[in-house]
Amino acid sequence: MKKLQILGTGCAKCQKLAEHAKAAADALGIEYQMEKVTDLQQIMAFGVMFTPALAVDGVVKVSGKVPDVETIKAMLK
Amino acid sequence: MTQQTSCGCSTAAAKKKVLVYACSGAANVAEIADHVARQLTAQGAGSMFCLAGLGAGTPNMIQTAKDADLNLVIDGCPQDCAKLISQKAGLTNVKIIRVTDHGIEKAKGVKITDEQVQKIVALAKQALAAA
Repeated sequence: MKKLQILGTGCAKCQKLAEHAKAAADALGIEYQMEKVTDLQQIMAFGVMFTPALAVDGVVKVSGKVPDVETIKAMLK
Repeated sequence: MTQQTSCGCSTAAAKKKVLVYACSGAANVAEIADHVARQLTAQGAGSMFCLAGLGAGTPNMIQTAKDADLNLVIDGCPQDCAKLISQKAGLTNVKIIRVTDHGIEKAKGVKITDEQVQKIVALAKQALAAA
């Protein structure tokens, strides 16, 4: 099971990234759990300076951007 | 298509995403580079980031650097260690400043001055404005 983490304090772009990540994972039919990481100290611990960010199994795939669903699908493969 | 704007809840300003790295050497020019990076961060011109993280090949930090609009690398001397680390990390969105190119001699055990720091801060801001 993949672990998808949305890093951000919860603004509209963070929510959009979560929506896109969910849509991408659902489209691929993969098993996943999604977690929203909103604590700034935890976000910084990922080595992320710009939010929103997406981490897959602890590895940051993108930060400071909201990729579209197709781009995230490629990140999840 | 990707939305390139940074998040409104970001710890950084919602403008160009600039990361700043300083030479981590032992001489005066490294100390100047460090002060410059911290001052640029304090003034909102960028966010100081960890050169050691890039050097260590930390995947999350390299990804963060690649996602920045610009990485400003402040090298102390012609050894260009910071520049080489950025290249090794595969960064292409890089602007480089070298302290010794601007009339400051590399030396050990020499106290740096605020004038030297401000000189490089001004040059860094010019480089960022031109980027």
